[in-house]
Amino acid sequence: MMLIILYIGLCVATVVIQATFSSWLSINGIHPDLCLILACLIGFLSNEYKGLMIGLTIGLLQDLLSPGGIGINMILKGLAGTLAGATTHTVSTVTPSATSIITLVLSLGCGMASLIVAYPALKGTEAFHAISWVLVPQSLYNSILASGFFWLIHRFRHAFGVVHFAHGRR
Amino acid sequence: MPRTEHTSSPLTTGLRRFLVGVFLLIVLLFLFLPRQSQEWVRQIGGPLALILEGPLHLVATIQNSAGETWSQYIAFQQVWEENQQLKLEIQKLQGEQNRLREQAILAMDYQKLSAYQVTAPMVTVQAHIIGRKVSDWYRAMILDKGARDGIHTEMGVITEAGVVGRIVRVNPMTSIMLLLSDPNVAITGMIQSSRDEGIIKGTPQGTIHMNYLPPLSSVQVGDNIVTSGLTDDFPRGLQIGRIQQVTKAATDLFQSGEVTPIVDFSKLEGVLIITSFQPTVSLEHPQSPTTLPPK
Repeated sequence: MMLIILYIGLCVATVVIQATFSSWLSINGIHPDLCLILACLIGFLSNEYKGLMIGLTIGLLQDLLSPGGIGINMILKGLAGTLAGATTHTVSTVTPSATSIITLVLSLGCGMASLIVAYPALKGTEAFHAISWVLVPQSLYNSILASGFFWLIHRFRHAFGVVHFAHGRR
Repeated sequence: MPRTEHTSSPLTTGLRRFLVGVFLLIVLLFLFLPRQSQEWVRQIGGPLALILEGPLHLVATIQNSAGETWSQYIAFQQVWEENQQLKLEIQKLQGEQNRLREQAILAMDYQKLSAYQVTAPMVTVQAHIIGRKVSDWYRAMILDKGARDGIHTEMGVITEAGVVGRIVRVNPMTSIMLLLSDPNVAITGMIQSSRDEGIIKGTPQGTIHMNYLPPLSSVQVGDNIVTSGLTDDFPRGLQIGRIQQVTKAATDLFQSGEVTPIVDFSKLEGVLIITSFQPTVSLEHPQSPTTLPPK
């Protein structure tokens, strides 16, 4: 029960930070998607089930504060958490570089889906601009942050109390 | 090894005794001579004193310097401590000053907004921006007023300067506003001088365009754009921005123009949500009281 409350608190805190302080983390107008990073990290550190649960929760909270329709972030973040958890089965050891690449791919996928939902009638040049100037830099930023957080948690996992740590379950 | 006894020679012993005798004689002479006769001894001793004066001065200088340095060090210690305290005091006062300045600026902003709220010919609710950028794909802001304050979707959001955006989602205590620069927002605008109407719409790049301007419109760079009042969310005559660039390709049916918004969206802190307004426009008086004069 305490763990559930902790996870919900973590999700709420992440969404609040995303809404209020993300401009502090902004580089040249590119903001990281902290919600996606959290969903992926939980997937990497625990399993696909927890990744899905956290992804759905944080996506729902993000949807409540977004102008888009309810559900898009919930589905995408849930999917990202699940896939992040599932990929730990396919690699021998989950390393920061592996998390970086997986987060990059997931971020690109989620971003593309969000872009299509947000602007369904986007013209070619506008889509190119959105992809090259927002989607790709944001995905790279997300992947760097995710691998950084993963490295930190990996290094201080005993202090964080991470008992289970994915090391590949091939 | 045989022990050798060190004995002095009779000559040396005699010389010693002689010298001691001479010394005693000089002392006696010096003591018993009249004071005036002692002067010549002093004259001889003067140059000899020079030998002592150099080192004496040197030692005195070192002593003085050491004393001064020590005093300065003690004084410096006190000054340093005082300086540290003053620095802390300055930091505290600077923080206080900054806080007060911030409060004053905020108060002035809200005062302007409140003054406009009173005079504006519409019912508005003052709201503060509590969050930005939840998603990179929408130019949205989170406001601290929601359904409990009577806010509904599609309500217009303005400042005393002009149009800001539109409410697209309402939660019980918060609401989400899309800025005018978002591609999902479109409102009807009007060139204030020529009265030509068009659609104001954002782009993914964050710029604002006025589309569907009549082909024969005399729109020019710098023209003022106001709301036309054709949509339900904004009354007529609220300022939107100015035409920055006019484009019309040979194949296009309509003219379009890039618009510089009158409101700096990045510096927004407080806004007014239009909850209701009475149409103040009649056929006889096409301009509402809020319509700004032409440039």
